[in-house]
Amino acid sequence: MDRIAITGIGVVSAAGLKKETFWAHLKRGASCIDPISRFDSSLYASRIAGQVHQLDCFSHLKSRLIKKIDVFSHMALVASEQALKDSNINLQDIDKEKVGVFMGNALGGWLFAETELRDMYIEGREGVSPYMASAWFPAAPQGQITIYYGFKGYSKTVVADKASSALALWYAGKTLSAGKNEFVLAGGMEAPITPYALLCANTYGALSRNNLNPRSAYRPYDLYRDGFVLGEGSGIVVLEKESRARQRGATVYGFIKGIGFSSDGFHYSKYRPNSDNLEYAIEEALKDAGWAKKEVDYICLDGEATELGDYLETQALKNVFGKEIKDISLSAPKSMYGNLLGAQTSLDLISTILSMENNLVLPTINYEVGDPLCDLDYTPNKAISRRIRKSLIVARGRGGINVILAVEKE
Amino acid sequence: MDIKEQVMDLIARTLEVSKDELSETEKLYDSIGVDSTEMVEMVVALNKHFGVKIETNEVTKYSTPLQIVESVQTKKQ
Repeated sequence: MDRIAITGIGVVSAAGLKKETFWAHLKRGASCIDPISRFDSSLYASRIAGQVHQLDCFSHLKSRLIKKIDVFSHMALVASEQALKDSNINLQDIDKEKVGVFMGNALGGWLFAETELRDMYIEGREGVSPYMASAWFPAAPQGQITIYYGFKGYSKTVVADKASSALALWYAGKTLSAGKNEFVLAGGMEAPITPYALLCANTYGALSRNNLNPRSAYRPYDLYRDGFVLGEGSGIVVLEKESRARQRGATVYGFIKGIGFSSDGFHYSKYRPNSDNLEYAIEEALKDAGWAKKEVDYICLDGEATELGDYLETQALKNVFGKEIKDISLSAPKSMYGNLLGAQTSLDLISTILSMENNLVLPTINYEVGDPLCDLDYTPNKAISRRIRKSLIVARGRGGINVILAVEKE
Repeated sequence: MDIKEQVMDLIARTLEVSKDELSETEKLYDSIGVDSTEMVEMVVALNKHFGVKIETNEVTKYSTPLQIVESVQTKKQ
């Protein structure tokens, strides 16, 4: 069957605003987490994040457009432009009716929304920007991308907490297989470093409070982990059928080969306290990809850095792979730039395909003291060389939305 | 600055075009690419600046800066 090829990469994150700098930061094992300084965050329990500081310097947008959109759309437009350029698609030569946009995010555009709502309560309804209605909602970036490029193909936005972009990537592939689209821009974006979104994320309660040590706060699988650190940004890739990519002589980074998903069906924010449902999703992804367990080289982990989250993930891997888990490299590179919630899987996909490209397993940083309950080799602190051909990416949403993507090279 | 100059100034600032490029008879929709939401943004700014009350549904009638100037002048009287 014609596989779904990844032929272009665009990335906006604390670790870099293009794929080259993103990769350079990650392979060094450098933390990009710092204190939140763009508003007074002193009263928030968690006030550190992986922030994008210089978006305007890397932006191609006119200020007339920037003022109409939220920053999450802005980041998505910057990532889209990079991905399209990277793919070498000549936009003049393609049928725009057959180009779709599939995006995922969990929160929507709160910087725009909360600013305008504040104005509404102070100045009344006339104080609200007319762009409010089209700027804040989760599908806004999808709409802005389609308008910017004139793409008219089948498009959708998925909201499924931290599994949003994983599902968007999968849906995108489905439309290509079904012949509904010829190309798709797929991925996600998230901008949670705003006063209200940060408050909600804090209320959720899984964030690290190690504010005095931002660079070592996000420590998945370490005994002294105390939660994840938020990140912001966007990851967008160009997808097309393998045959189409070969025909136009495109650079193919890798292929999305399969997916497995399940839901814990247990609680609105907690995980079911056993790993059965996550195991089921992993098994399904392997089945969908047609891979034997021992073929897997690398797993890009969820690494929530909570006591239960990391334990359950470790248990699931042990139960599914048994002794063979020792032969698989594991890591959570997001420990360097923060967790981008709904956009996270798109960044994980990008770091994974770059790992495959460079035959290098990225590290899980800040791993210092082992936890007897999380006793696998998570590639601590330093990248290691390894030929990677088949990888899994773990995405877990709040309350247990489990999505596993299977990605391969060649 | 008289009303006309103030209106032209405000339109240019809202649309982020140079004042020299903006003529009174410029086609706002066709040549500058204004959309209806931008027109609403302009009306809100005009109402605030001049203390007038142009209804947002009136904006669809205006296609040049001159028509906006005339509307503000009428309302100011």
